[in-house]
Amino acid sequence: MLSGTVLQAVLENGNTIEYVYDANAPRGGMKHTFFTPDKQFAIQFFNDPKNAADPRMQDRIRTIVGIYNPTLSEADGGAVGNTDKTAGYFRQRFCWPLAIVRQPEFGIVCPTYPRNFFFGSDASTVLNLKGKDKKSNWFTGRNRKYLSPDERGNFRTMLGTAIGLSRTVRRMHQAGLAHSDLSCNNVLIDPRTGASVVIDIDSLVVPNKYAPEVVGTRGYIAPEVLATLGLDFNDPRRALPCVQTDLHALPVLIYEYLFFRHPLIGPKIYDPNDAERDDFLGLGEKATFIENPNDVSNRPPDLDVTIKSLSKGLEELFIRAFVNGLHDPAERPTAMEWERELLRAWDKLVPCDNSRCEKKWFILRDAQNPVCPFCKTRKNGKITQMLFKSEMRGRKGVFRDKGELVVYDKLPLYDWHVYSNIHNDEKANTDIAAYIAFYNGMKLLVNQNIDGMLSPSGRLVPKGSAVELKDGAAFKMTGGENGLLCEVAVSG
Amino acid sequence: MSDYIRRLPVYLLLDCSGSMSGEPIEAVKQGIKTLISELKGDPQALETAFLSIITFDSSARQISPLTELMLFKEPQIQAGGATALGGALKVLAECIKNEVHTSTATQKGDWKPLVFLMTDGAPTDNIDEGIDALKQVSTGNIIACGAGANANANTLKKITNNVLMMNNLTAGDMAQFFAWVSSSIKASSKSIDAKPGEAIELPPPPQGFVIVP
Repeated sequence: MLSGTVLQAVLENGNTIEYVYDANAPRGGMKHTFFTPDKQFAIQFFNDPKNAADPRMQDRIRTIVGIYNPTLSEADGGAVGNTDKTAGYFRQRFCWPLAIVRQPEFGIVCPTYPRNFFFGSDASTVLNLKGKDKKSNWFTGRNRKYLSPDERGNFRTMLGTAIGLSRTVRRMHQAGLAHSDLSCNNVLIDPRTGASVVIDIDSLVVPNKYAPEVVGTRGYIAPEVLATLGLDFNDPRRALPCVQTDLHALPVLIYEYLFFRHPLIGPKIYDPNDAERDDFLGLGEKATFIENPNDVSNRPPDLDVTIKSLSKGLEELFIRAFVNGLHDPAERPTAMEWERELLRAWDKLVPCDNSRCEKKWFILRDAQNPVCPFCKTRKNGKITQMLFKSEMRGRKGVFRDKGELVVYDKLPLYDWHVYSNIHNDEKANTDIAAYIAFYNGMKLLVNQNIDGMLSPSGRLVPKGSAVELKDGAAFKMTGGENGLLCEVAVSG
Repeated sequence: MSDYIRRLPVYLLLDCSGSMSGEPIEAVKQGIKTLISELKGDPQALETAFLSIITFDSSARQISPLTELMLFKEPQIQAGGATALGGALKVLAECIKNEVHTSTATQKGDWKPLVFLMTDGAPTDNIDEGIDALKQVSTGNIIACGAGANANANTLKKITNNVLMMNNLTAGDMAQFFAWVSSSIKASSKSIDAKPGEAIELPPPPQGFVIVP
């Protein structure tokens, strides 16, 4: 058949869709891909007819397209509890299969990746990358240097990418689904904006359905999976991809986004006689975190910026993921914990005062010592923090910590900085509630859209008015129900 | 910070004997160009793959030493002369010995080299010496591709178990061959599906190519 011939596929719901035959169709490990004439959709078929014909696999994919689908609202046949808003949110973050092809053979229909996940013509001056997809290792390995600076983003956008990915993975895990092959190839990222999209959804592990025979991608496979690869697929000792193995791949990606290096690939030699075996041990049975505080055998001699340069909470999660949990899957932090800790770190971001700092932002670890870990520039002036507390239900006057926000000029605040019962997630309203303005030497919190914001003396602060953030000041973000208490701390 | 990335050495052994003159040799040149550009578009290949080209006619020589893709310059290739396949294997063994880093107690070595051999005729020298030389060095997959009616699968089978035959030497077939080489290199740079010591699984060859059992 000639490339360019337009063919017709029949879907399981009886509809038809046209696609363009291509003799050199892009071919992955499992599937090859054709596109609709308008390139809005990808039609994927399996390389191996045995796979395509397997009723257990077909059954698994039907549930992925239907009852487990977070990109369709419950009313449209998607996941239970999914609203139009959350479905729309996850449509931007997953390339989720939309339909199943019945003829000419079993296959799936997916949306094509959004445009911002393809390089434009100005992405690089030394490589022709136009139209290539933005696999995350373009940005985290040494290839980074070939990209134009605009493409590379900064520390803040990479942290945003990590938040988005952990939320996306959390959403899958919430439904009991495991991706099973999270990797630099299956997560496309756009560091200019901090957006990410998870692709290759059809190899998901679905509860109570026959597991797909995927192993994963080098560097992202959980150590126990690699260590037991030699055993038969049905051997009970064989570790197969599951939620816990995703919880290894997720922090590997997060670590790469934040540090541009792999957490397990260091100088340690595991087998001096055989490169393949060396790798097999170093990423599997004998894997050692390069920043393991108790075992420095794999630590690069020139490590400078480390997990200690992040927030305390993130440092602890990385230790749990790559020290305690590296060979003990039950110890690994959940995607929800990653999402929460990354969001806390986001609220501690400050801009670096050095205009030439490549990272532009850093996480403030110690307000007494506000130094950028990347370029070592000390921040000028004092650091102002807003400490949020919520009153415990039924115990008037008893408060617990609900987070901290390090302020900088033009910082926006949202509903989750105002109400104790609102969290920064896919359901939250993202209209600006208030913002910070540095004005005439004062640091002001300006009320944009909060009903009932109160001043330290208990007076109403109307929309458009502001509270000055002075050391020791305390006020309610709103006097209404579930309003957070804010205490101001100025240091340095 | 230092990086600890292993190199994936890739050797292309290309037949440039007289029978390759005209369209076939032009197709080979085009194939190399496309191969480089394809691999430069793949982040893993770009990071790990290093490429060398060895050509053979009445004698054999390495025309491009093992080089990272960003610095690779397309070689000048001409067709003419006989088919010194045995000599090419000896040159290959010598290059692997000199260029591929083996691991030491303190330095990570390269991956086992990936070798693609393309020939359109029967060797005109003694290939047994070449095969013996090759046994002295460690290689990963060696894939031999016989092109056209005069290529002899049995001869190639003496070199490696992975033998492909393509029926003719058209530009289209040659382009498909290089596209397949490119996807094989990409797959090798990503995969460690294989257990240590085993050959890496390569993508299925293009349509019209016959795998010799």
